[in-house]
Amino acid sequence: MADRRVDPRADSPGHGSGPEAWFFCLRLLGGRYAFEAPLVTEVVRLGPLTRLPAAPSFLPGVFTHRGEVLPVLDIGQLVGHSAVPIRPSTRAAIVHCGPWKVAVVSEAVEGLVAIPRRNLEPPPSESSGVAEFLSAVARDADGPIAILDLPRLVETARSRAVPAGSGHA
Amino acid sequence: MNEATSEIVMFQVGARVFAAVVHDAVRIETLRELTAGEIVVESALGMPFARARGIVVAGEAQGIERTLVVDNIIGIRSIPESDVHPLPAFAAACLSSGAVTGFVILDEAPMLLVDLPTLVRERSGAAACDTTPERP
Repeated sequence: MADRRVDPRADSPGHGSGPEAWFFCLRLLGGRYAFEAPLVTEVVRLGPLTRLPAAPSFLPGVFTHRGEVLPVLDIGQLVGHSAVPIRPSTRAAIVHCGPWKVAVVSEAVEGLVAIPRRNLEPPPSESSGVAEFLSAVARDADGPIAILDLPRLVETARSRAVPAGSGHA
Repeated sequence: MNEATSEIVMFQVGARVFAAVVHDAVRIETLRELTAGEIVVESALGMPFARARGIVVAGEAQGIERTLVVDNIIGIRSIPESDVHPLPAFAAACLSSGAVTGFVILDEAPMLLVDLPTLVRERSGAAACDTTPERP
């Protein structure tokens, strides 16, 4: 099921003060979205999903990968768009964001992209939808890329969910 | 070397099959002799269709029992402890029910593991009197 290992820590000059920043790029919501490459550990093809009762829409289920059960995060659902279609060919990036390990489902995976730091621009000032979670925007040879603040996005997803024991079960 | 095992009861609610630790179930019954105040029909697992069986669970107070209404009891199975997995942390933090505690891996597929006392405690008040069929 695993497609490839990603080890951006090994060659990630962009995470420091180098001239280029390295990001991991996915196609989502009809566009190109990326986040800091060191967050990604692996790209996998999703196995059969087990749906969870009492789960928010952005958590469509879990799947097993190398004997580990991983939750799937649908960013489209989190930001009020339609769900990313989940098919046998659907791929996800496994990411670590603080204490959380999730598989971010995508329409397609582009992989690592290097963007000169000088080309990173502030995001638009909108505060709704996915714009709420952008840390920068940029452009490369393939077109515009929106840079997501993935740790903030994942933490927001968790905080927006109704926690167990709150009386809303 | 013998591997530690857990005994689980597998039961069906709607179209899905769930698992629970056998020790959480006091007994399994038909529903004919139960009074409305003792049963939990709708839960975080959904609404049972046929409502044929009940899993009796000890309530929070001594001597109190509550019955989770299910569609069918699939059976009891002994599984290696290594096939029991906790819910991923992110999923656990996002679910609105604390009753789903993890998974058991059966035939390489994860089956949800449910804490029955938590499940009936969460829903006992809201669903105790629901005896009408609501949806197919």
